Amino acid sequence: MKSPNLSTDHKSPVPSSNFANLALSDFPKPDAPFLELRHIRKAFGKGKKQLHVMDNISLTVQEGEFVSIIGPSGSGKSTLLQMIGGVLLPDDGAIMLQGKRINGQRGRAGYMPQQPALFPWRTIEQNVVLARETAGLPQQESLELARVWLDKVSLGEFRQAYPHMLSGGMQQRVAFLRALLGPQSLLCLDEPFSALDAFTRSEMQSWLLRIWEENRRSVVFITHHIEEALLLSDTIYVLSNRPARVLERVEVPFERPRREELVDSPSFIALRRRLTELLREEVSAK
Amino acid sequence: MSIRDWWKGIWPPLGAVVLFLIFWQAATSFFHIEDWILPSPARIVSEASHSYERLIGHTWATLQLTLEGFGIGVVIGLLVAGILHVIPFLRQALYPLLILSQNIPVIALGPLLIIWFGFGILSKLIVIVLVCFFPITVAALGGLAGTDRTMLNYMQMIGASRGQIFWKLELPYSLPAVFSGLRIAATYSIMGAIIAEWISSDQGLGYYMLLQQSAFRTDRMFVAILIVIALSLVMFSLIVLLEHWCIRWQRTNHERQGGR
Repeated sequence: MKSPNLSTDHKSPVPSSNFANLALSDFPKPDAPFLELRHIRKAFGKGKKQLHVMDNISLTVQEGEFVSIIGPSGSGKSTLLQMIGGVLLPDDGAIMLQGKRINGQRGRAGYMPQQPALFPWRTIEQNVVLARETAGLPQQESLELARVWLDKVSLGEFRQAYPHMLSGGMQQRVAFLRALLGPQSLLCLDEPFSALDAFTRSEMQSWLLRIWEENRRSVVFITHHIEEALLLSDTIYVLSNRPARVLERVEVPFERPRREELVDSPSFIALRRRLTELLREEVSAK
Repeated sequence: MSIRDWWKGIWPPLGAVVLFLIFWQAATSFFHIEDWILPSPARIVSEASHSYERLIGHTWATLQLTLEGFGIGVVIGLLVAGILHVIPFLRQALYPLLILSQNIPVIALGPLLIIWFGFGILSKLIVIVLVCFFPITVAALGGLAGTDRTMLNYMQMIGASRGQIFWKLELPYSLPAVFSGLRIAATYSIMGAIIAEWISSDQGLGYYMLLQQSAFRTDRMFVAILIVIALSLVMFSLIVLLEHWCIRWQRTNHERQGGR
């Protein structure tokens, strides 16, 4: 038996030679939230042309929590997701997943981009398994899972079809399944419905609501659609203009399972009005 | 595509060729043009029916040389494109030189290649590879670099390795571009083979043409040219067939759009 020793027991995410340089925020906490962004700062470019996009953003996502981030366009919402995905590095601050610092580590979150970005040479089921395949999971098992899920979302007959044969809404469903079936338990959705027409969009919202309520995962959802955020989320972070700060953190009080009719209830309308005003002030303050 | 549509597309060029042949035939007899300057189409056809047995051997030799050279050219062309794509510094350093190198006429390199590599098959293959690999490399590099940014970002976000991004995304994405390079290279490869046979050979259509030129058998040269055209078309069609087989998803796309 090993004697309990700090250096082996307490896994440090960085080499111990850097021990002296570590900030307090680099250490995992036992009761840490599922995902935590701590004091994120980000600027692009250098010198006079430097664009300061993010200023001290902190937010948390609990296990199984649906968190939306809304803000004016250009407030760096997508940049935030790129940092969680490890494609971009924050200039300052830490991204903690299950208590471990994951700055710059790719592939820790499932991802659904604005455009479905399905691979046109892959059939629908091959597209659905892409994230699993990339993670090296056994193909046969993934394909079976894909079949079950495609049937579940009534796309079963399109298993062998190619993406261009599907409508925009159907393609987004496939893109969501691809993220959902991936090995990562955190999902990042980047304005997934913004390219759809209004009718398809509201249809997709209730579709996502139903699927998610049956399979709770931690979700970071980027949108600039207030109603969408209110309908889907547990918590909403409202970002300011560039350089983005968190203007307000709103806990959405409505009970689950939610139904589409919720959008007509007085409390929903009141909350929507408050958020709309908050954002309108921010946009006009530009 | 119905037969009527097909006929609609084919009759204007076909008609032009027939008209041209009639004009050619009439001109040779009307102006009394001698056979060794310009033989009539009828004369060429009758010569073809007489000498085809001798030509089969030469055609086979040329085809074999073409296929070997083309095969090597494709492999080298794709390898060079892959390496230059994966190592951006190499691409930056070598891509301009690659383009400059295309200003050297291959026929001018022929004598040099013979000094270096002798009269054997090697110098001939090098000529073909030189004309083949460039269109393939340039097309493949363009295709690889043009990969859809959203798909690329998706692969990065989900943690795909450099190799996975290349094999699962960039390579299939570049296939249509690669095939347009292959189509050009396939027709070039026949030309390369003929040039190679002019420079050094004792068989093949290029050799046959030189032989008939010194005998002023213009009609036989025309027969050889006809075979060269036919070979080029065969190579081209083979590549198109292969392309349809490899890029099925795109073909169904065209069909769908055409059907609407």
